[in-house]
Amino acid sequence: MKSLLLAGTILMALTSASVARDIVIAQSSDLRSNNPGVNRDGNTDGVILHIVEGLVGYANNGEVKPLLAQSIAMSADGLTYTFKLRPDVKFHNGKALTADEVVWNWNRYMDPATKWTCIKDFDGSGTVKVTGIQATDAATVVMTLEKPSAVFLGLMSRPECGYTGIIARESLAADGSFDKPIGTGPFQWDAWKKGEYIHLSKFAGYVSPANDGKPDGMVGSKRPLVDGIKFMVIPDASTVKAGLQSGVLDTAEISPDLIPEFEKSEKTKVIISQNNGKNLFYIQTRDPVLSKPGVRRAMAMALDLDELVAAASNGTGKPNGSMVSSDSVYFSDIQKKRLPHDLAAAKKELAASGYKGEPISIIANKRGNVPSFPAAVIAQAMLQQIGLNVQIEVLDYATQVDRRRSGNYQIISQSVAPRLDPALMYSFYTGDKDKNASLMWDNPKAIALMKAAYTEIDGKKRQAIFDEFHELMLEDMPGIFLYDMIDVWGAAKSLKGQPVWQSNARLWEVSFDK
Amino acid sequence: MIRFILHRLLMAVPTLVIVAITVFALIRFIPGDPAALMLGDMATPDQIAAMRSDLGLDKSMPQQFLVWSGNVLSGDFGHSIVSKEAVLPLVLSRFMVSAEIVVVAVILASLIAVPAGVIAAWRQNSLTDLALVGTATVLLSIPTFWLGLLLLLFFGLKLGWLPVLGYVSIGDNIVGGLLYLVLPIMTLVIHESGVLIRMARASTLEVLRLDYITHARAKGLSEQAVLWKHAFKNAFGPTLTMIGLILGNLLGGIAVIETVFTIPGLGRLMVDSIFQRDYPVIQGCLLLIALSYVVVNLIVDLLYPLFDPRVVAE
Repeated sequence: MKSLLLAGTILMALTSASVARDIVIAQSSDLRSNNPGVNRDGNTDGVILHIVEGLVGYANNGEVKPLLAQSIAMSADGLTYTFKLRPDVKFHNGKALTADEVVWNWNRYMDPATKWTCIKDFDGSGTVKVTGIQATDAATVVMTLEKPSAVFLGLMSRPECGYTGIIARESLAADGSFDKPIGTGPFQWDAWKKGEYIHLSKFAGYVSPANDGKPDGMVGSKRPLVDGIKFMVIPDASTVKAGLQSGVLDTAEISPDLIPEFEKSEKTKVIISQNNGKNLFYIQTRDPVLSKPGVRRAMAMALDLDELVAAASNGTGKPNGSMVSSDSVYFSDIQKKRLPHDLAAAKKELAASGYKGEPISIIANKRGNVPSFPAAVIAQAMLQQIGLNVQIEVLDYATQVDRRRSGNYQIISQSVAPRLDPALMYSFYTGDKDKNASLMWDNPKAIALMKAAYTEIDGKKRQAIFDEFHELMLEDMPGIFLYDMIDVWGAAKSLKGQPVWQSNARLWEVSFDK
Repeated sequence: MIRFILHRLLMAVPTLVIVAITVFALIRFIPGDPAALMLGDMATPDQIAAMRSDLGLDKSMPQQFLVWSGNVLSGDFGHSIVSKEAVLPLVLSRFMVSAEIVVVAVILASLIAVPAGVIAAWRQNSLTDLALVGTATVLLSIPTFWLGLLLLLFFGLKLGWLPVLGYVSIGDNIVGGLLYLVLPIMTLVIHESGVLIRMARASTLEVLRLDYITHARAKGLSEQAVLWKHAFKNAFGPTLTMIGLILGNLLGGIAVIETVFTIPGLGRLMVDSIFQRDYPVIQGCLLLIALSYVVVNLIVDLLYPLFDPRVVAE
């Protein structure tokens, strides 16, 4: 029996020798669809990121930079964008990228039949209305907007939109149905064994956009340095751990609890990377108890954020009380302000608000590696110190989403996926609660500031808007922001490069030691 | 015999209808909106409403049930809300993956546990009996996920004999496929052997106390003949029923094993679908599981007369 097993193992090792230079990575769920921006979730975005590219993409600091475009020119009135395409871009099927292809892609995305997730962001239902697109020559695309927008390019670069990836027409079958993505990214579509794995192979003809030799968000140097990527579907964290320790997996997200073990191991290492996502306490400002700003401010002052963040993040996170990520170009000194940890002041404000021991419930979930539950437990202890009657209600994620959507909650310990432009982050929390019960903050001044941030193109003026927004938030305290999300990944010691960016796998410029 | 089979299959129809109605209603009572989960946290109420309408979730529950059951009767189980795949091929393909593990595991467990249980009964109160019963109790007390992880750590990580994770279909690669199945099958065999040893022992003990066994011994038959020719046949009936129940239970119920060993089986599909509130897939999975219970029990009933001639199908 032992001989048979050994023989089988050797046979398997020999069989897999030809793909030994693939990076093997675990993800917690299967791909939803390979059609960019149509049926997606975070794991799907991570796969699609390697296959397609849009005209523009986010850099590390949240700026939007050219990707398939060589240059972008905006007219003085902010209504016309002219994209000059890079001449060196080829699709995975060898065809050259042309302006006609870009126009065809845009029209396909804006066709309701495509069911593009982001169609409402560009058809005038939201903040942007694209009134026209045209190929003025083989390498120039001109897009026109109804009104100026500061977030037009940022919206196009979003993962939720499939990065508005440009694909070859041959991605569609003869009957018009979607077949497979033929993009321009550093890796190309190869195979999908549903429930098991997705395999991408290296695109040998890939040329990076202008760069300084380093990866930079979705732009920068993007060389595929391995033969391929195998995304294995592994929902169980213990199995992921075993996979990394055995060397079957090269990299994967791990629980922060495993940091010491992985750091001590001779085979593995830990990669810690901050992203623009947020961990926060989302507060129902229409709740009878929590509608009083004094109660909310007292809660914020009762929390020792340094202690809470250190414990909830296993020492990996840094407190950030702003909606703006500390990596953002807009993270000014004003954004660093937060209410002091002051129990006496908290008790005083609580008493002044007329709080009489009414119960307050924090909803938490134990999904994946988010700190929802530990953050709620630590906060409960801290809030009880000033006399708040706090309980924790643990729900599954789907139920939690339902409760937030319906506004049926007091506090939710929540993690929010990265949005690289602060205005886009604001829109998750701020707006008219009568129209959208899931929103947290309906202060008219905050809504006006958010709208201004959407339309203001000038960087300095945007900074002023974001700073005013933050000051207003500290007064009103509609939610308590704890810290920017942290990606904690385990990897083989031999892995070189940074395999994660903004919670997604990013495996270009990643290789192995010889 | 054919009349009996048809009769039993017809009797399964109300069971399946009740399962369908119960599952359909219960899953919709659980909070959580598939449209909201699908569209993510940035979706507006309008977008969610449009998606609900697309999925037919804006209709009343009885209307939804009528549409779904009408489609099922014509062989259309709908499409997954999440992956858009047709439900029937999806659940059947995942069922086959689970079945190849479960069937092999139950056969192996039966081959080990039934003789062990009979021997334990034969040697009642001896050291052998004590050892077998003690082992069986320990085996059935170990949670399968823990046992699976221990085996994975020992055979996969420490010894490096078997793959730690992944799955290869036997159809694609026989040797590779078998290697990936060793650990999950071993986990199930170890766990289910515990149950079956105790069952086989108890039913054999009952038979060994009957007069006809004393009579057989008084006739001067060897212990081997008494045990295997006279006692075993009568004692095996309840164990066979238990094997059928275990088989039916495991065919849709090894989600934990499938999750630990990254096997794309029916149980994992169902658990994932519950988390995602993928109603059509959950309904498809549960209907298939109910059907497999019915079929397995029918097979057990048909096999019964082979061991106990007193039970005649007619």
